[in-house]
Amino acid sequence: MSPVYWVVLGVVTAFALSAVGALVWAIGQGQMEHFSAGARSIFDAGEPVGTPTDAFPGTARRGEG
Amino acid sequence: MSTRAPAAEPTVTLRPELAARAEIDRSCRAPVLVFAGSAVFWLVAGSLMALLAAIKMHTPGFLTSWEPLTFGRVRPVHLNMTIFGWASMAGIAVLLWLQARLARARLPFPNLLVAGGVVWNVALAAGLVEISIGHGTSVEWIEIPLFWALGFAAVFAVVMAASLTMFGRRKVVHVYVSQWYLFGAVLWFPFLYLMANVLIHGGFTSGTTAAATNWWFAHNVLGLWLTPIGLATIYYLIPKVIGAPIHSYHLSILGFWSLALFYNWAGTHHLIGGPLPAWLVTVGIVGSVMMFVPVVTVGINHHMTMVGHFHRLKDSPTLRFVVFGGMSYTVVSVQGSLTSLRSINEVNHFTHYTIAHAHLGVYAFFSMVMFGALYYMLPRLTGREWGSARLIKLHFWASALGIALYWGPLTIGGWVQGLHMNNPDLPFLSIVSGTIPYLWGRTAAGVLMTVGHCVFGWLVLGMLQPRHATEQATQPSGVAQPGEVEA
Amino acid sequence: MNRAVWLYLGVLLTVISSFVGLVRIPARQLRGLLPIKDDLGVERPQRPDGGVLAGRAEYIGLGCLYCHSQQVRPEEFGADLARGWGSRRTVARDYIWDVPPVMGTMRTGPDLANIGARQPSPAWHLLHLFRPRLTSSGSTMPEYPFLFESQRVELQRPAEALSFPQGEPRQGWVVVPTQRARDLVTYLRSLDHSYPVPEAR
Repeated sequence: MSPVYWVVLGVVTAFALSAVGALVWAIGQGQMEHFSAGARSIFDAGEPVGTPTDAFPGTARRGEG
Repeated sequence: MSTRAPAAEPTVTLRPELAARAEIDRSCRAPVLVFAGSAVFWLVAGSLMALLAAIKMHTPGFLTSWEPLTFGRVRPVHLNMTIFGWASMAGIAVLLWLQARLARARLPFPNLLVAGGVVWNVALAAGLVEISIGHGTSVEWIEIPLFWALGFAAVFAVVMAASLTMFGRRKVVHVYVSQWYLFGAVLWFPFLYLMANVLIHGGFTSGTTAAATNWWFAHNVLGLWLTPIGLATIYYLIPKVIGAPIHSYHLSILGFWSLALFYNWAGTHHLIGGPLPAWLVTVGIVGSVMMFVPVVTVGINHHMTMVGHFHRLKDSPTLRFVVFGGMSYTVVSVQGSLTSLRSINEVNHFTHYTIAHAHLGVYAFFSMVMFGALYYMLPRLTGREWGSARLIKLHFWASALGIALYWGPLTIGGWVQGLHMNNPDLPFLSIVSGTIPYLWGRTAAGVLMTVGHCVFGWLVLGMLQPRHATEQATQPSGVAQPGEVEA
Repeated sequence: MNRAVWLYLGVLLTVISSFVGLVRIPARQLRGLLPIKDDLGVERPQRPDGGVLAGRAEYIGLGCLYCHSQQVRPEEFGADLARGWGSRRTVARDYIWDVPPVMGTMRTGPDLANIGARQPSPAWHLLHLFRPRLTSSGSTMPEYPFLFESQRVELQRPAEALSFPQGEPRQGWVVVPTQRARDLVTYLRSLDHSYPVPEAR
């Protein structure tokens, strides 16, 4: 078995382990709590939940909530 | 509350959040426009190369006297133009903007990133010339000689640095799911790219070891580069466009982590039946089948998020492209998992079926999502509006129908080709003749897709023109314009 | 910077160091995979000589693998053997001299792993490269005219001129292969994995 296979295997395993490690980090940081807040983190008062933000050019969108 | 400016003066006070977001979008302008504009150029050029390759497959006498246009060179030129030109540069444009948005941090060192865009274009152009004059490596997805590939690696390093810098400066506590996906793309993939190039072209591998390394890498172009960028984009843009959060954030996290664990292992499914150690191939099949978990997770999540909002597909260009892409992701991934099963693979390996599958992933999924993202981003970066709703719709239908027409006939033709090849009583040349009608269908589809790309290129050119002082967007696709009253 | 960043950097550094270690490993350390000797004491697979390597470079530079594979699947998996594409499946040992291998992933054209055994005639290969449909009706392989030269017939036909079944394309002119064509044919005729190996029946 070529040593290169072991290197590739090692890299793949290292990536999988780093994924696990980052998951552990995330849990420790509390990233897995307040999921609803997480899903909403991309919204704010300027572009709140309930406000669409895209339309075809030239279509009337002003005033839509 | 807001203030309305006096009519004579085009100044405005925006809500602080809108102003902050516009500021972040503005910080992205030069680098993102360089990468996005280049990407669209390569899309059109790559489409023309695609047509050339497609025609040559059913009309082999077409343009054979000039050596650089021989099929064996046109085909890798097309692949590299579309993967490293269109897909990767669009991907980088989108991931830079998306990470700035998610971190609510300005894009750092823009001049260096612009230089990176230039370097990428130069390295790609040089690599394509090398392939055309016979210096291509014939290692699939790594045809560009090592010297120029290192140019890409250098740009990857700058992109990585920008990503980490923005993450370090982030003003949000929560790390949104898109950011996880983008870390996968930006932190893992460049290293894999460098490794594969050096291992294979540096002469450290040969024979079956090189083949396994090749396909472990090539599949990661899809699994750790294009897919994460595509999914990150969908997870941000669908909620943003419809104004509703992701249906189940739990599911999205599960989807990411299972993808991160399984996708990396799938590469050797390209060599089933080949001279690899059996355990290595089995690992690839298992990894491919396990991908059902993240794929179904993602599919459910996207669908449930869209439920109640499907009517918005009429109103939003971005949503059309992104939802089409998201649905295609589910289809192509399920197909991929099934295709790795030995009984299926025995038929479809080595046939046009595989090509159809590849285009379903890179075009119907990734490219359509990128189109959606660019339609969303460019007005916000340039302050202009898209020139014509009608042309946008033309682009959408040309691409959507085009890829359907591409995938359908070629999948059927490829499957039949595979069945016939496994029947030793059928002479090989009769099998070749049998594929010709399906190959014509593919060329027709390619013409349709190319029309869409030319339309898109035209629209993008309109966005990149210098703005005139008197120009005002009438009704922007969501961009706050000077003079607008805020709610 | 926060801990996530250090975590990722740490993993990357670990992987990089293993890669640096690899730089010290000699190129051809394929433990357990060496050529074997056949009945006549010849090493199989044979280390390729200059002519074969030059031809292989042509095969790579012209992108032949985008239509042709070079791997014979086992008997229970597809009909490769039944089609006469080899006397046995190909195994890892067959590719040890291939830097890089050109196994291919498409069979727009037939598998070539054993084409040297199946079609040993240089004249056939040259004619096929010049105009594939002369030897294979219905083939979609492109022509490679740039691998050949036209020469006016002076006193007598050059020995290496292509011999066309329906006569020369052009009166008074013959088609002669260039060195590139000859090298490519040398390579194609070297493709022969019919020697038995212990790992395949």
